[in-house]
Amino acid sequence: MEKIRYFFRRTLLSMRQSPLLCTATIGTVAVALMLLAFFGLIVMNIQNLAREWSRDIQVVVYIDQVPSEEKLKEWIDQIEHYPNVEKVHYISQQQAFERFRKRLGQNADLLDGLMPEILPAALEISLSEQARSRAGTEQLVKLLKSNNNFHKFRYGQEWLQRYDAFIFLLRLIGSMAGGFLIFATLFIISNTIKLTIYARREELEIMGLIGATPMFIKAPFMAEGALQGAIGALLALGGCHLLYYFFLKKGLTALLTTTAAANIHFLPLSYQLGMVLLGLILGFIASLLPLRKFVRL
Amino acid sequence: MIQLFNVGKIYNNGVPALHSVSVKIPSGDFVYITGSSGAGKSTLLRLLYCAEKPSRGQILMGGRNTTRLKPRDIAMLRRDIGFVFQDFKLLNNRSVFENVALPLQVQNLPRQEIASRVYQVLQYVGLEYKLRRTPLELSGGEQQRVAVARAMVVNPRLLLADEPTGNLDHDLAVEIMEMFKRINEAGTTVMVATHDQEILQQFPARTLTLHDGNITSDSAPPPEDDNEEEV
Ligand SMILES: Nc1ncnc2c1ncn2[C@@H]1O[C@H](COP(=O)(O)OP(=O)(O)OP(=O)(O)O)[C@@H](O)[C@H]1O
Ligand SMILES: [Mg+2]
Repeated sequence: MEKIRYFFRRTLLSMRQSPLLCTATIGTVAVALMLLAFFGLIVMNIQNLAREWSRDIQVVVYIDQVPSEEKLKEWIDQIEHYPNVEKVHYISQQQAFERFRKRLGQNADLLDGLMPEILPAALEISLSEQARSRAGTEQLVKLLKSNNNFHKFRYGQEWLQRYDAFIFLLRLIGSMAGGFLIFATLFIISNTIKLTIYARREELEIMGLIGATPMFIKAPFMAEGALQGAIGALLALGGCHLLYYFFLKKGLTALLTTTAAANIHFLPLSYQLGMVLLGLILGFIASLLPLRKFVRL
Repeated sequence: MIQLFNVGKIYNNGVPALHSVSVKIPSGDFVYITGSSGAGKSTLLRLLYCAEKPSRGQILMGGRNTTRLKPRDIAMLRRDIGFVFQDFKLLNNRSVFENVALPLQVQNLPRQEIASRVYQVLQYVGLEYKLRRTPLELSGGEQQRVAVARAMVVNPRLLLADEPTGNLDHDLAVEIMEMFKRINEAGTTVMVATHDQEILQQFPARTLTLHDGNITSDSAPPPEDDNEEEV
């Protein structure tokens, strides 16, 4: 109890004793983590957006001969039991024709005098989220091919390939840049804390000389580092929120439609808590590194 | 009982400070270490305090070999030793009171006990009315007395003092030496490095003379303390 009280007092006193260094450390943590948080925010939103697009991923089966009502029902039933199928939707020749007419818009008169039968009926199959990729769709098409009635498919092969590549790239860049940022943050904080410790190396030496255990000497500094890291992380979240509000929300609303901007979200609470924890751990480790060098009995 | 066997010390920069020192110091002894500047007096004390590791030889303290201790054990060993450093090593940003309290805080003693022991020892060195000052607001002699107080506050079994009277006028030096004598009479082993001949004459005791890293003479114990020193 006496120990905890002592550590707590020393931590606060030391932060008050060198307000400049303390502010510098917190500021460094805040800026570094703000970059990290903002970067994470952007990656997360792009990922959300990509998930939104992936709703359009579907496999379309064209049906040459319009089947009987029963046959159709049987097919749909069968397909719905395939793995990773979310929904099966039948588009009759009439519906396809209407859709086409709508898409042509002003040029709809091109279709005048034509019969709906020029377009094939189709089954539109949408996939569950984890299967919305090239591998997922191809697996489904393989299954569909086992039914001899299906031989014409469309599933945006090229587009899917690019989508897959994009997601892969996003993840790769995200984790690489994120990892790099974390390391850079650790390095920078560690160097700032090293200054704090260097400024007080005499105290560290004297504490050791009068019989303090290494742990006793280090504990207040580690607590200080962790506290500064956590405070810095809170400031970083605040700063990131401002960036998010003014650049992403306001800025993009001016450029894009309101609905597009409405799809942009701030980091969820769990990420925010994670951020504070990250700051705490970074501060802790960052003070551990220089302490190992300066506390020697 | 402190025993040194062929202890040598060469600093990292290649400077040989001690060659081969062998000596036995029974508990309760009062020993001077003297010799010209650079002879290795401070080095010898620092070795006993585990502030340096010997380059060769063995050091036994209370039957325990201290040449290869873990950091934690070094810390524990130091809690039984008071050290008055040649350059004081006080914390300039803390008050006299806090400086003297530090060795007790490190041992997690209750605050009440710390306060009363610090006050007592400060009274002992005559600085109780300056306990709120910081070391920089004190004279050299006063700082030295704070250093002595910090060494004594733990009731050490061994007191090592490196030039404890170097900055004091004769009267204060005598006062400090009288304090050391009193501590010694209470059972603490005392080792004082000094080249103050006046002190040596006024407070005679066993004297080790160092020259170029070797003990060149170990004085015969002074006659009046004969039976006490011949343990
Ligand atoms: N930390 C150190 N690193 C390198 N050399 C050192 C160190 N401390 C002392 N020395 C050298 O070791 C030798 C002995 O030094 P020491 O401090 O033990 O002498 P001393 O007898 O205490 O001298 P003084 O009376 O001036 O205090 C000297 O030559 C000194 O230059
Ligand atoms: Mg010396």
